[in-house]
Amino acid sequence: MSVDDGPSNDTLAALASLTTCDVSRRHARRLRSRCHALLQRQATANRSAAAMPHGSAFRRMFAPALGAAWCVAYLLEIVRRAAAAFVGTE
Amino acid sequence: VSRLTGWRVMTPMDRDCERLLVGRLRAGDTGAFDDVYQEYRPRVFGFLLRLSRNRTLAEDLLDETWLRLVRHAPRLTPDTRIGPWLFTVARNLYWSARRDSLVEETSAPELLTLWPASAPWPSPFDLAAAGELERRVEVALSTLSRQYREVLLLVGHEGLTPREAALVCGISSEALRQRLSRARALLAARVRQTPAIAELKKGYAT
Repeated sequence: MSVDDGPSNDTLAALASLTTCDVSRRHARRLRSRCHALLQRQATANRSAAAMPHGSAFRRMFAPALGAAWCVAYLLEIVRRAAAAFVGTE
Repeated sequence: VSRLTGWRVMTPMDRDCERLLVGRLRAGDTGAFDDVYQEYRPRVFGFLLRLSRNRTLAEDLLDETWLRLVRHAPRLTPDTRIGPWLFTVARNLYWSARRDSLVEETSAPELLTLWPASAPWPSPFDLAAAGELERRVEVALSTLSRQYREVLLLVGHEGLTPREAALVCGISSEALRQRLSRARALLAARVRQTPAIAELKKGYAT
């Protein structure tokens, strides 16, 4: 028997006829609901990302740049005021 | 736990139908998920149950297997074979759980865990329906090592081709062929050694 002959002998044939077992209907329903919810969440997220190409670009580039600019301005203002206070006390 | 009354018929999913289902799954179609779930849930559960011989663990691993399918659905390739994919995940989860020493298997060769949880002992009707040969094969199968059990279940019970089973087990086709051959011989020997119910009754009577 070659490797591709499949279950051709008696032992494997007996194995094929073993009774199928399953989880309880309640368990099956609960698992199905969880999977459906997850699938729908994923599908919604994918649709949102596809519908707002500019939104993703905003999140990736513009928002970090805006944040960085604000931080730099804040830092410069602190330095300027510190310098002004230092010069004022001299 | 429900126990299906009919014999499972080996109906490998049509390839075109499978491609279609994979495409719908990737798109997040719950209807496609239901089709796959109905077809494979009992098969994956039976595989895990017979492999682990632990109902609670088998149920947990079944849940995780399906959740992984859903999480991975958008990344499935169009030519994904759903059956082998599910059995690979289920098998890997089982071996991972075993490695983490989370598995405490019963040493008893009986497969009582295969019977409904609400009724710890099979009814006479269940016993009669299960059939003598099935009982002996179940008992013999449960005495084999896990490596032998998994190849026998995948090829002999689930109808995977040896090539698919080799992929699921992460071994070469040649290694699988050898393992399957040894497992089959061992199973046949154990089935012969397993006493029939008639012999057991005779033993009790004397």
